[in-house]
Amino acid sequence: MKSLAAFASTAVLALSATAFSTAVYALDVEAAKGLAEQNNCMQCHSLRKDKDGPSFMKTAEKYKGKAGAVDEVIKHMTLGKDVKLADGTSEKHKIAKTMPANDKAQLKNLAEYVLSIQPK
Amino acid sequence: MTSEQNGMKGWWSILKRPSAKYSLLGLLVAGFASGIIFWGGFNTGMEATNTMEFCIGCHEMKDNVYEEYKTTIHYSNRTGVRAVCSDCHVPKDWTHKMIRKVKASYEVWGKLTGKIDTKEKFEANRLAMAEREWTRMKARDSIECRNCHSFDAMSPELQKKTPYKKHMEAKAAGKTCIDCHQGIAHRLPKGFKKPGTEEED
Repeated sequence: MKSLAAFASTAVLALSATAFSTAVYALDVEAAKGLAEQNNCMQCHSLRKDKDGPSFMKTAEKYKGKAGAVDEVIKHMTLGKDVKLADGTSEKHKIAKTMPANDKAQLKNLAEYVLSIQPK
Repeated sequence: MTSEQNGMKGWWSILKRPSAKYSLLGLLVAGFASGIIFWGGFNTGMEATNTMEFCIGCHEMKDNVYEEYKTTIHYSNRTGVRAVCSDCHVPKDWTHKMIRKVKASYEVWGKLTGKIDTKEKFEANRLAMAEREWTRMKARDSIECRNCHSFDAMSPELQKKTPYKKHMEAKAAGKTCIDCHQGIAHRLPKGFKKPGTEEED
């Protein structure tokens, strides 16, 4: 009986911890994919294959463990800086837009999604 | 014979009888002038239904697609050229415009029956509505886009290299604007995936 109560309380703790972590670090994958689609990101990028631009997986590897990675990716998406293409030439990166405009939460979610792509 | 039939027959005989009072010239001038007035009135009324104010007269459009459109380049841009709802969604030539307007009467039915009167209902129907509009645009080779844009007017110097390359590939493949440019002025339906952008899991 005692062990059952101990098991139950552990389960409750584990469940609430999961719920808490989901609430704090919730990544909305569908919303991120939607924003990427809306901005035609996938015309030049892919999840794990390099196209004209590097794969999201490569970007995630580049920033792995680095502080400020999310902010760097947001800057990359929104400042329209020169970027190098696969053929060695460069051009200005498309500026990602949100509806409503400049919605930091949506951009952050997309950046976190990019940084979450792992090798298979 | 009922009195109604009598009345109809009476009117018809008046219409058929040559005028003894008015000259042919007078009748022609009066007919011509009233023709201009009625035609002008009809077209003015028709144009009134093409204004943005008319389109966002219902909350279904104002609270959803209009709010989204306001954040896009077709609403606000560097040069101040604006494409309003009808520029993209109503054909310019008279025949196709009339056909579109008649079909739009179904949208009035949708309004009356409250088909999309809440955000949830709008989202539930967004994909079906969008696909219907994309099919219409594709069937006419994206004519409403091409009223302003054309492959031939794209400058390789002024357009960014990647979009230019993709546009020229699309031109060679016989593609039309709406094959790639879905959701440029409105939010894409949830879960919609643009063709040609393969994605591995």
